[in-house]
Amino acid sequence: MRRPALTVRRPALTVRRPALTGRRLALTGVAATGTALAGALVLVGCGGSAASGAELSVGASYMPQPVSADMAAGFLTITNKGGTKDELTSVTSDSAGDITMHETNGGAMEEVRSFEVPAHGQLVFKSGGNHLMFEKLKHRPEQGDTITLKLKFAESGPLTVEMPVKSATYNPSTGH
Amino acid sequence: MRKKTFAAAALLAAATLTLSACGSGDDAKSPVAVVAGDNSNKAATILDQPFEKPDLVLTDTQGKKYDLRAETKGRPTLVYFGYTHCPDVCPLTMNNLAVAKKALSKADQAKLRVVFVTTDPARDTPSELGKWLKGIDSSFVGLTGDFATIQAGARTLGISIEPTHKDKKTGKVVSVHGTQVVAFSPKTDGGYVLYGEDATVDDYTKDLPKLIKGENP
Repeated sequence: MRRPALTVRRPALTVRRPALTGRRLALTGVAATGTALAGALVLVGCGGSAASGAELSVGASYMPQPVSADMAAGFLTITNKGGTKDELTSVTSDSAGDITMHETNGGAMEEVRSFEVPAHGQLVFKSGGNHLMFEKLKHRPEQGDTITLKLKFAESGPLTVEMPVKSATYNPSTGH
Repeated sequence: MRKKTFAAAALLAAATLTLSACGSGDDAKSPVAVVAGDNSNKAATILDQPFEKPDLVLTDTQGKKYDLRAETKGRPTLVYFGYTHCPDVCPLTMNNLAVAKKALSKADQAKLRVVFVTTDPARDTPSELGKWLKGIDSSFVGLTGDFATIQAGARTLGISIEPTHKDKKTGKVVSVHGTQVVAFSPKTDGGYVLYGEDATVDDYTKDLPKLIKGENP
């Protein structure tokens, strides 16, 4: 069936983004859902690590092939299966002179010193939202390359991430 | 519409957290649900009251005067406001358009105008802008000039941008980009379709042939 084209009135300024709200809601959700789940997990028995500190792992990492070596973005998801929150405090790489963490706020990106990795939750860097910003790259990363990153945390030990360079238009939800 | 997106994002967040709390979350796939959960599964938003093309006279990447209305009259034209020190959304948006454009016939490619207007004219000089766009698609037009002029032009399209400024906390330079690509019809020169930053290569590939003709995607 053919859907009629969506017609709407001229929208008001739409610079503020759902992505940000989504993230904030996500964090708020952790607190609320976390409390609720703590109880649920005991009953269901799929937790079991509640008091043993943060348990961090990294997935879904990629860098879209950048326009130049001056600047690139990187994305990843840090999952914490543990019952204690942690904090991502720095990201470094031999491939880039400078890597900073940013949140996107109404079309403006703002540097953030650290990001919380909530207990039983995730810290998500994704296009349009939080991102890693690479500057002064030694070479322009090309599709197929791998960038090695070191993530440091307030509590947990550092994690090494092999971040693949994907096409400039890579979309993680479709995988191409 | 926006409320729906918020709601969908909230639901997704709840769903994701629920999953990950039990250690079975598949984070790579979760963002899809936001889009699919929103009942507008088309990337394009068609306006019942098109925008007038902004009366922008700026400087192109050759350093020459460029009158947007005169240069793009009767041409299918896509306009985006961004800046080159933007690592994420600006290059992604322009690359999405570049890749989608390559799927058009040569004749259609020749008709299409893609105009990138900088929101950070102090750093984006004509040559900086030219260098950056060359890395994406050398046929794209890059415009720079007086910030107040650019801001006023963006505002007529419902796009609000702020001047580049130093962040009070970090002392770092912060620039702002628009979040929409506006498509102007070759028939009316009106801006009649909007794309948000979630629009993908596939969305543009599907819609460009219609936009070239001034039809609704």
